[in-house]
This record gives sequence, C-alpha cells and structure tokens, in this order.
Amino acid sequence: MAQAIPLVTRADPTATRSALSEGYLSQPIVMAHASYNALRAVGTLDLEGLTLDRGELSTGGYGEGYVDRRHPHAYVHELLVGAQATRAGFDGSVFVGRGFAPFGSDDPMMRPFEKFPVNHHLAQVLERAVGIVALRRGPLIGEFGLFNGDEPLTPTSSPNLRRFGDSWSARVTALPTSGLEVSGSFARVASPEVRVGPGLDQHKASVVARFSRETSNAWRYALLEYARTGDHNKGTLTTTLSSMLGEAAYCRTGVIVAGRLERTDRPEEEQLLDPFHTPRPSTDLSNLGVSRWTVLTGSISAPRAHVGFVSGRPFVEVARIAVGAGTPAGIFNPEFRYGASRMWMLSAGIRLRAGPAHTRMGRYGSADSDMSMEGMGTHSPKPESDMMTNMPGMSRDQTARSGGSSATSKCTI
Amino acid sequence: MRILFASLAALASATTMACSKDSGGPVTPVTLTPASCTGINLGARPAPIAVPTTTPTVLHLFGNGSDTSRYTAEIAVRGTTAYTTTWQVRRVQGNKVNIWDVSGNVPLLVDSLIIPGVITTSDVQVSDDGKLLVVATEFTPGSIAIYDIADPRHPQLLTRFSNAQTAPGVHTAKLGRVNGKLYGFLGVDPGGGALARLVIVDLSTPSDPRQVFVKVAGRPYVHDTYARDGLLFVGLWDDGVDVWDIGGCGTGASPENPRVLGNLKTVGGEVHNIWWYHDPNGSKRFAFVGQEGFGSIGTSSSGDIHVVDISDPTQPKEVAFFNVPGAGTHNFSVDEANGVLYAAYYNGGVRAIDIRGDLASCPGNQRNVDPATNLSRCDLRLMGREIGVGVAGLNPSIYVWGVQYVNGTLYASDMFNGIWKLGAAK
Repeated sequence: MAQAIPLVTRADPTATRSALSEGYLSQPIVMAHASYNALRAVGTLDLEGLTLDRGELSTGGYGEGYVDRRHPHAYVHELLVGAQATRAGFDGSVFVGRGFAPFGSDDPMMRPFEKFPVNHHLAQVLERAVGIVALRRGPLIGEFGLFNGDEPLTPTSSPNLRRFGDSWSARVTALPTSGLEVSGSFARVASPEVRVGPGLDQHKASVVARFSRETSNAWRYALLEYARTGDHNKGTLTTTLSSMLGEAAYCRTGVIVAGRLERTDRPEEEQLLDPFHTPRPSTDLSNLGVSRWTVLTGSISAPRAHVGFVSGRPFVEVARIAVGAGTPAGIFNPEFRYGASRMWMLSAGIRLRAGPAHTRMGRYGSADSDMSMEGMGTHSPKPESDMMTNMPGMSRDQTARSGGSSATSKCTI
Repeated sequence: MRILFASLAALASATTMACSKDSGGPVTPVTLTPASCTGINLGARPAPIAVPTTTPTVLHLFGNGSDTSRYTAEIAVRGTTAYTTTWQVRRVQGNKVNIWDVSGNVPLLVDSLIIPGVITTSDVQVSDDGKLLVVATEFTPGSIAIYDIADPRHPQLLTRFSNAQTAPGVHTAKLGRVNGKLYGFLGVDPGGGALARLVIVDLSTPSDPRQVFVKVAGRPYVHDTYARDGLLFVGLWDDGVDVWDIGGCGTGASPENPRVLGNLKTVGGEVHNIWWYHDPNGSKRFAFVGQEGFGSIGTSSSGDIHVVDISDPTQPKEVAFFNVPGAGTHNFSVDEANGVLYAAYYNGGVRAIDIRGDLASCPGNQRNVDPATNLSRCDLRLMGREIGVGVAGLNPSIYVWGVQYVNGTLYASDMFNGIWKLGAAK
C-alpha cells in the first residue's frame, strides 16, 4: 500500500506572529506486510524527509527539534521481522527491528485527521530499535518491549544501538466486546532528547479506550485517551505533562465527519533563529515552562473516488486552538510568541492511496487486536481478501477495524 | 624527591591547621608544589576559621537599570561600564549587548550593540588589559564577536570568529592569558549530530583569531571553563570537572597542546562553571564548582556549589558544598581580597558566601553525608558561611543569571529586569 496527502494549511497566527499558508505532500508512505508460515515481516517507508524537511504547520505540535510544525518522520518508520504461533490457547509473537514501542495509542497517521494531535510525543513512542514480546489469550493481550531511548535526530538517523535496552514499555489490552479495546501502558524512556545521554528521562503512562465498528457502508469510531509523561532528572521528577484527548468519527455512504478535542501540556524550549525549530539537544536540562493547549478539530471528507488502482478522498479540516499557561508557567507568553492566545488552523487536501487500505500502526503480531484468533471466541472471524489473510490461524476482523481497512469499504480513511 | 617534599609540606600544613583557629591565613609559610604540576605553588593550606552562625544580611540595593524588551543574560563590568548580554526571545530576540554607565547608583543604558544573525548573546568577557570585549553567540552558527573597547562605551567590532567547530552555538567564551598571550576558551553546544566541544582560540592578534585546539568534551555539555595561571578548569557536566595544564605546570603543555591533569565527578554531576580561588595569603587549594541542575526558567532552579580541594590536581577531592533550598546556582564572581564568593542563584537572587579558611575542616554537626556516594562534606550553610542575600524576593520577580564584583560593588544581571547595582557583603 502507498499513500500520500497533498494539502494546503493556513495557520493564523503562528510562531511568526502572523498568518502563514503553505502546501505540502504529507505522509507519503509505503507499507508492506509479509508472512511465511510463522514468520512475519512489517515495513513502512516514510518519505517525509523528502517532502517535509521544513516541517508541516501544526500549531501546538512539537518534538524532535520542531515546534509549531510537525517533524518529518524517519525514512525507516517501521522495519520488523518476527514470528507468531499459537499453542495451548495462547497466541504469542516476538518481533525485532525498528518500530513502535508497545505504548499508548495508534499512530496519528492511521486516524481520521490529517493533523497530528499536540500529544504525539506524550502518547506514542516510535522509531526505536525494539524487541517486543506479545501474548494473547482470549480477549486479553499483553506486550513487553525493550528499546533504545533516543529519538531520531533526522529522517536518516538510525537508532543508537548501544542504547538498546535502556528503555522499556509494557501494555495490557482488553477486548471486552466486538469493536471495543481498552488498554493501559507504561514506559520508561531514557534520555530521549539527548542521544549520547544523559538527558531527562521520561516515565510515561497511558490509558486508551478505542471503539471502531464498520459495516460495508458505515463506520463508527471513537477514542478516549489520557497520557502522562513525567520528566525525571537523575530520578527526581522535574516536570509533569499530561494530555486528555477524545476523538470520534462517523461515516455514512463514504462521507466521514470527525471531531477531536484535546487538552495537552507542552514543554517550552529555546528556539533557533527560525522560530519553528529548537536546538537538539537543548543547551541544558532546563525548560522555559509549560504551556497548555486546548484544540478543537473538525474534519469532513468526501467519498473516496477511484481512478484505476489509485483512490482519493478530499477533506477539509479546521482547528480552533487556545493556549495558556501550564504548570509551571515559566516564561512562556503566547502574546510574545504568537501575538495571540487564540488561533485557527485550516487545512484542505486529498488522501491519495494506491493498494489496500493501511492497517493500524504500532501493534505487531499477537498484539494487533484487529486480528482475530480463530477458535478463540473473541470476534467472529470472516476471512477477506486482505494482505494478511495468509497468516495461519488469523483473519482480519471485518466488524472491528482501524477506521476501515477493507479495500472495498466506502469508509476507509 | 618532589613527591616527598610535597608530602612533607602537606603534613606540615595539616599539623599546623589542626592547631590553629580563627584565622583565615596560613599559619606557616609552607608551599605546595604538586608533583604533577611543579610550576604552580598552591600555597599553604589555610587554617580553619570559626564563623558565628547568623542570619545573612540583605545586600544593599542601589538601583536597577531596566531592560524588559529582552531577557538579560551574562554581565561583565570594567570600571564604570557594564556590558550585559541578552537571551532568546522576549518581545525581541536576544541579539543585543547593552552598555551601561554604572557610575551612579542607578545604571544608565548608554548604548548597545546589535549582533546580526543570532538569537542569544550568551556570554561576555572583558580582557584583563581592558582592551577587548568578547561576546559569545548562539544559534546557528555559533561565533565570538571581538570588539576593541578603547572607548568602553562605544565598542568597535574587530572581527567575528566562526567556523565549523563553533556550530551550532558558542555557549561561553572565557578569556585567559598564558605566557603573555591571550586565548579564548569556547564552550560549544552539541547539535546537528555533533557532540559538545571545547575550542581554544589564540587572540594575540584580536582581529585575526586563530583556532589552536579543539576537543570533544562534556557529557553531554561543556558549559564553561576557567583559565588562570596556566591551568584550565573545564566543566564537563556529568563527566565532572577536568583540570588541564595549559602551560602553568612547566611540563611543556600549552593551550595548543594541553595535558589533562585530573578529573573529579562532583556530587550530582551537571558541572557548569568553576572559579579557582586564590586567597590573599597565597593559598590556592580550593576551586568552586557550580552545578546547573534542572530549572524551569523564570520559576525554579536547582544545583549546589561544590568545593573542590585541588591540593593534588591529579586527584581533586570534593570537600564541601553549599545549597540554597528551592534555588540553584549559576555564575560566580569572587572578592578574593575579602574571601567572599558571590553566586547568581536564579530565582534565589544573589548569595554571598564567606570562603575564607579551610573549607574542608568542620565539626561533625556541620557535615553532611551524600546518600548516593556516601561522601562526607562540610556544609557551608551549617558552617554559617552564607553572609548575604541580594535581590531575592523582589516584586517583580527576579531570575539572576550572573554577578560581578568590582571594587566594593556588586552587579547582578537579572533575566527579567536588566541590571542591579548592589553593595558588597560586609
């Protein structure tokens, strides 16, 4: 599968204290899955390093040296190999490679909005060298992962393998009923922002409830999330950042209407001459305070149109953004940075896709709750022509999926 | 033979120390030339002194020179002229160096320098001969701007030095003279995939600086240095503090070819800045190391002052510390004649600390054992060594970056309010 989103965004105002309008090719990715008997492979090539070097306007967003712009992801977004097998009523898998640590919620690229939420770096841990063990029995899934704490410096940078194992995460997921998934996760991430260490360590926690149910021409989706990150200096808590996020989408006959409300803390950092960039690593362990972002986002997209094997879904997305002082307020002053404390962001574009719809990103093997286990009684399995149907004992659940993964559904995002 | 002599000298010093009290001076004219650095006489070990524990006095406040369009950073004062740098972005970016007339009680802004293409003018120094002003800049690329200050109120730019080794930013630039030649010691930020570095620049021709040495240093930062008498102290964050011979030891080392004498990982790491104290009696045993812990700018800070005995520069030892609850230290200035260290303490204002005498010697009830290292150290607070507090608790709030003591007057740079002129501690 390949996808890309050409779009224009207007941020009014933004970090230049004025309005900016820009165009991008966002989220150009190529995904592939493969399996042979018990062996699995997952790969996602992300070409944002070519198309989003300056970052994508995303007021409130931050991370990896960008602020108020979303950073480009690493070219090797995911590349994992693993094995998966079922024994005595348990389904287990082991995956190694580069990808998501078992923590938090789905990659925002797989959700109904083009713009990432502010909480991306509170709610996901990605692009690390990971080793993940997952075990599933009935409606319960447990995952444990070891990884390197350092986040990518650039799209081309590879994980610091000498730091593999300095960080860990664990996630427990329950599937109480069809389409509903509840998970809780913890992570200890060593010095994510100072590659050579020792920078601030992060203690992270996340609770997520997710609902997704789809029929051939309708889809209902909701996600509630609480994420918290505590920055620690040599074991002492220095800053607590938290996020509450709720989002929902409804699709009927191909039209998707979605809304998202989040309140997220952002650590404020020094900036470079370009106000959208911060020094990496920072010049010391301090921050400039914490800002608190309240963002209401609405999105509507038209039915997907097909031309040959390529399809496109036009969309419009609007966000109303409010920022104020967090705890501690520090020296952050929205009037100084933006000239305002209330802002707008408007985006319009088209989600282009070639090939089958992408799957959820960030869960591997037995931890992919969209995968039913035949005979384990969690969902009613109904094999379909999907890229993963050749996985023994597994089939993609057609009634509970990630925003529509069927190539024929009218509601795939 | 040198080792034997040094040992005997130390023994003599220790013996006499134990028998003396209430004197800041050495009790015998012994000398200590460490075997590792025979070119430097560290002098006699100072005698312990007993200081009555009293409430620190409030340093007299003469006046404030205000600049609220930018955040103020470091300060350098020479005569009646002060220079303050600026940091990051407030209403305006920190590309300015303010020039103040500090001859009166209230500092007056008389001129300024704008350095193009920077967002922070992070450090400022005046050369020992009063001829040059050197300003460090961040980001990117880092540089030092060198000015002729024959007219102190109207500096003239000589040159701006920048190369691949000064990217992405020069965090600090300290000046030091070695064998008559002026050098700049630059602490360079990590960034762009490169590690932090120490760069040494030959400034003997100020209009044509010449890089003579570079070394990756600091884990992860090298924030500051202190050069004096041919020794260079390098703050290496969690790698502690290095003592380098750059020509003082008589071993042939130089700024172009320095030699690492020793290292100490002070309690808690995060080594930021250093002052090697020369007391008026000739003792040079103690260096003061500032720890820059986590801080939320404008609100909180953390980090202690660590007292390091360098009697054996190959094996420095931490012997004492000073802590301010709820605040952390930043830059120092020392009134060496009177034995008072002034420390900027961010949200804790300015602290004046009596550093006379043997700071390694204290009764048991004035000692503190660090739980992480089990190291027993004298606690300068319990020893009653905090003798003055300045600009703490003011309204509007303060966040003090730097201090400089000049001829009985203390100047403090406050990120929020500009420059304060204060009376020295009594």
